[in-house]
Amino acid sequence: MSHSVRLRLVAAGLAALVTLSAQAAAPRPVPKIEGPDFSGSWEDPYPPEVLRPADSPRPVQSVPPAPLKEPWLSQARERQRKAAAAIARGEPIPNNGLRCIPGGMPSMMGTVFPLEVLQSPGQVTIIQEAFAQVRRIYLNEKQIAFEEAEPLFFGHSVGRWEGNTLVVNTIGIKEGVGTVHSPRMQIDERMVVTSADSWEDHITITDPEYLTQPWSYTIKYNRRKGYKINEFVCEDDRVYADPQTGKQRLRTGE
Amino acid sequence: MQLIRSGGRGALKLAVVATGLATAGVATAHHSFAMFDNEHQIRITGTVSKLEWGNPHIYILLNGGESGKDARDWTIEGASPGILNRIGWKFSDIRQGDKVTMVVAPIRSGESAALLKEVRLADGRVLNNGGFAGPALIKID
Repeated sequence: MSHSVRLRLVAAGLAALVTLSAQAAAPRPVPKIEGPDFSGSWEDPYPPEVLRPADSPRPVQSVPPAPLKEPWLSQARERQRKAAAAIARGEPIPNNGLRCIPGGMPSMMGTVFPLEVLQSPGQVTIIQEAFAQVRRIYLNEKQIAFEEAEPLFFGHSVGRWEGNTLVVNTIGIKEGVGTVHSPRMQIDERMVVTSADSWEDHITITDPEYLTQPWSYTIKYNRRKGYKINEFVCEDDRVYADPQTGKQRLRTGE
Repeated sequence: MQLIRSGGRGALKLAVVATGLATAGVATAHHSFAMFDNEHQIRITGTVSKLEWGNPHIYILLNGGESGKDARDWTIEGASPGILNRIGWKFSDIRQGDKVTMVVAPIRSGESAALLKEVRLADGRVLNNGGFAGPALIKID
């Protein structure tokens, strides 16, 4: 091969490489985001942090008791009775919150603090301001098997849109997170986008080992326009559980 | 957790109560305020020595006390920054050296610590501590 032929071949090769790399670097259009727009910040229709005039009734979004089987129902009632008695004595029993452990699923869908919904292609992300909790719902994916589900605070969530409703299934909630449950507990949600500024989460929890029947309740959200979620890093808190007495104490002074 | 409401002398008292039955429930709160004596609120005036603005609660360190009593170093618990921001506070509303008046619920242990109900800032504005802390049952001045 002559020198000039070799040069031409090298030049042609370089040109091909340049073309290829240009193709690889070509920007893709943004994939479509499915479903109605419910991105943004949301809060309780009657935010509980707002101090209302004395004696004014305040609607509270409440959760019915879990329909637990025995002996867990009796155990839960006993814990509840002791907790209420301790409160009445002014000696509240320290809980996970005191140690800055987040509630996980499904309690992070509660509305003591606002939450934020982010929609991106193939995913809906929900950020709860309290304890900066994050869950990711993967769209149009098959749920994994119970045996494959690593136990987590927020579990493994998959979802699909049915009109204005995001249908979500969650499994893999860690033992000790929320109410007593088995590794086969499932949280099914129907997130119904009811208007541009409201949506509802219809939650149904099933667990063949611990629940006598499905445990269902609904949480409602109103849009808080323009609200930017606060950061929430649980720093050193002055309230702590006394290691000797187990009672809640407050560290005073500097 | 559940929100439990009970009336007392016509005042709304709110307590966040952890329950075994409803831990998967609506609330995600940090701790109960039952360690503070809501029924015997006091008014204290003093000088801010430090503001600790952070989660899960803010703390105001104050040198002062009730009218006619010796000044002491008080540790006053407030709500979380998120709650306070949403009800109209700003992190810069209270600064070291500010003279403030507060209505507080003292801690039951007898230490000089308390839960904030209401504060009159150095600039004269009055701010409350949010729904979970409950209302001031006595006038701030």
